[in-house]
Amino acid sequence: MFEIVPPGTRIDFLGRRHIALVVSLALLAAGMVAAFWKPGLKFGIDFAGGTEVAVRFDPGTDVDEKRLRELASLCGVLDDPVSVVRYGETERPEFLLRFNRVADGAAAAEECPVDAADVARLEEVSAASNPTGEGEIDVVDLLTLAMAGAVGPPEILRVEYVGPRVGDELRRDGLAAMAYAVLFILIYITFRFSTRFAPGAVVALVHDILITAGILVMLGVEFDLRVLAALLAIIGYSLNDTIIIYDRIRENMELRTKFDLEDVLNRSVNQTLSRTLLTSVSTLSALLCLLVVGGEVIRPFALAMSIGIVVGTYSSTFIAAPTLLFLEQSLGDGHGGSGAKAGSGKKARKKAA
Amino acid sequence: MSGLRWKLSAAIGAVLLFGFLTVSNFASEEQRLASPLLPDGGLRLGLDLRGGIHWVLGVDLEEAEVQELGFWADTLRSAPDDGAEFRVSEVRVTDGTLRVSVPSESDAEALDRWVAPSGALDAVGEGGGTERVFRLSDLSAEDARRRGMDQVLEVLRRRIADPVRGIPDSVVTRQGQDRVLVQIPGGQIDRSRARELLAVTGHLQFKIVQGAGESVELLSAEYPDGLPEGTEIASEIDKESGRALTAYLLPEQPDLTGDYLKDARVGFDTRQRPIVEFQFNTEGARRFAELTEANVGNQLAIVLDETVYSAPTIRSRIGARGQIEGRFTSQEAADLAVVLRSGSLPIPVEIEEERTVGPALGKDSIDRGLRASLLGLGVIVLFVLGYYRLSGGYASLALAANLLLLLGIMSMFEATLTLPGIAGIVLTVGMAVDANVIIFERIREELRNGKLPRGAIATGFSKAYWTIMDANITTLITAIVLFEFGTGPIKGFAVTLSIGIVTSVFAALVLTRLMFALHPGTRTVETLSI
Repeated sequence: MFEIVPPGTRIDFLGRRHIALVVSLALLAAGMVAAFWKPGLKFGIDFAGGTEVAVRFDPGTDVDEKRLRELASLCGVLDDPVSVVRYGETERPEFLLRFNRVADGAAAAEECPVDAADVARLEEVSAASNPTGEGEIDVVDLLTLAMAGAVGPPEILRVEYVGPRVGDELRRDGLAAMAYAVLFILIYITFRFSTRFAPGAVVALVHDILITAGILVMLGVEFDLRVLAALLAIIGYSLNDTIIIYDRIRENMELRTKFDLEDVLNRSVNQTLSRTLLTSVSTLSALLCLLVVGGEVIRPFALAMSIGIVVGTYSSTFIAAPTLLFLEQSLGDGHGGSGAKAGSGKKARKKAA
Repeated sequence: MSGLRWKLSAAIGAVLLFGFLTVSNFASEEQRLASPLLPDGGLRLGLDLRGGIHWVLGVDLEEAEVQELGFWADTLRSAPDDGAEFRVSEVRVTDGTLRVSVPSESDAEALDRWVAPSGALDAVGEGGGTERVFRLSDLSAEDARRRGMDQVLEVLRRRIADPVRGIPDSVVTRQGQDRVLVQIPGGQIDRSRARELLAVTGHLQFKIVQGAGESVELLSAEYPDGLPEGTEIASEIDKESGRALTAYLLPEQPDLTGDYLKDARVGFDTRQRPIVEFQFNTEGARRFAELTEANVGNQLAIVLDETVYSAPTIRSRIGARGQIEGRFTSQEAADLAVVLRSGSLPIPVEIEEERTVGPALGKDSIDRGLRASLLGLGVIVLFVLGYYRLSGGYASLALAANLLLLLGIMSMFEATLTLPGIAGIVLTVGMAVDANVIIFERIREELRNGKLPRGAIATGFSKAYWTIMDANITTLITAIVLFEFGTGPIKGFAVTLSIGIVTSVFAALVLTRLMFALHPGTRTVETLSI
């Protein structure tokens, strides 16, 4: 029988809680610095609004970021410099263009190297869309024509546009979703674990979200809907390990009427250590597959989620139990807590056992 | 043992049923229709996997109110002719209000009496003496917005999602108060043509030509003192070069509009060039006949959205049918026919959000998603087999069953699978094993504490029960929140994650348990392979 954590392992996690505190605070601080100073919290177009175009060219096309940047500037993109990133590893060059501000009406087409007839056609379409006759030429269409003429036939992989109103709404909804998720989980935990355990779980939860977000900012990952989905999933998932440990703490508390809390906590964390590690490893290995072969579109999600799981495992081992100890020591008597106090979840558990 | 047998048959039945639903997704359309066994529907692919256009259009409902005010302005202007007891000097629409000037105070009082019963206009305080200021009552503003939204939806449906003549599988639905969701699955129409369908407001007008010139400049030069009152200049535009051809002097007010059209379709002229043939309804035919009869020898300009398409000379009285020639390609003619048929878009719409995925990327995403799922599955199966041996085999079987259940349930509800949805499945694969790990580790612990296999298994499952429930319920909570707040493809993640959580719990707590119950050697420690 192979075991990653040999039976009888007794690591003094609680004794090292100060180190853990320093590590967590350092990570939090680094995250804050990254978010508010450098490199700064960056939003993807979902939240910031703007246009994103992913384009692919035939193999051997003579094209680079600079060329596309020039073309975009000529064809009505006002951002300076235009964000153009080459990505993907295939021999067919792939680029992601991103911009926020575009020129109005015919001004977009003035310097763009495309046929006047094509411009007229686009103009007609856009003018007709607006009763005042002053429609904006669709810059993506214009740019596609320009690329076809000046570089080589482009294959438009993806066009995403988020208008200012939608961006605001998505940002607001995203924050609301996070808040609701935390709130509902708080309610559930209070319901299931008694007020004694709930604060520790919530501290671990908030810890995981903040640190994961901080690391993502440090890595320069842009926040968009995919990252939001990952953060929400982390809110749900990071509790898994904490719940395993708390369940064991409660069980151990119920065994005896008199115990040393720190000893119980340490024992519980050690007893569940293999479980904590193995569940994280299994989920993490699936996510790493997604990260490696899942492709460009899903990568931010897989990355955010992977980081979240590592942070969640760390926090349930090093943060959740010490928080419980801290709260007990500062609020209660610290020692001699009896199993009888363990709370409302106990009945259900007894029945289950 | 009969209880066990019953449970076992139920579990196997469920897995087989959902497994069948999962597998039937691979059947082709013809096979589905031909076979009485295969379900008609099944798993749908999201636009991010299929490729396609996803638009959220904002509808400017303020404009609907402005138009309603405009309608009242016209009604008031013509009211004296229609027998109202007041005279009107001026009617203006400004800043969402309707300002009416009348010659005398007695006219103003008569106006008040005329307006009051309709309940559509509320008097605003500012007016007095011989001026009255109105705005739309809340009720009629609400009504105008509702009608505007209904019309926009109706027109877009006819243009895009018509079951017979629209783009197959496309969807036009209302979203929220003032938005329309348009989804056009991939490969059927390119982005700029689809945009054209939205853009063209389809405002068809017929005007008698009052003058013509080679260009706008030359024509305006003929009127050094400004254009005659009530006229404007519009150009015919060459579709191929985009150059303006002849410029025409036309009345501002149309002599007849496309509102009277009954049908429009593509036809061909004598030289086999595509044209658009249209047909008026009875009222339209009567008016068209009157108009053409009175103007034989004159040119009739056919104006669509401010552009002159053609200006044929009227040779004789024309009744219900006519045609538009405009050097169209067949595609353009077909598009124009759609637009004419669907009527005009009463309120302009604006693209507020777009998620368009080309077919190449969609296919790429399916490939990569599938590869990631299979790789993830493989890694996890190796991991549990290596670590838990035979019990790991049970967990792997349970995992396979879990996936069949997940995809089968999604097929049953005809749910949409998106790329984030695939990520949710991969995550489910990872998390499903968590539950088994929790159970197996507990069983190992019980064995170490000296329990016999049978007892260790029973304790392991029962002690792990609530831990697994808690862990999964918290994740389910966030999945449901995400479903409520998420949009587009992200919703697909919430869907697969939620269903995956339910099937995982079932697989771990019911299926794995059943397998242990069937395990032939649960009596001795040596034979319990965990």
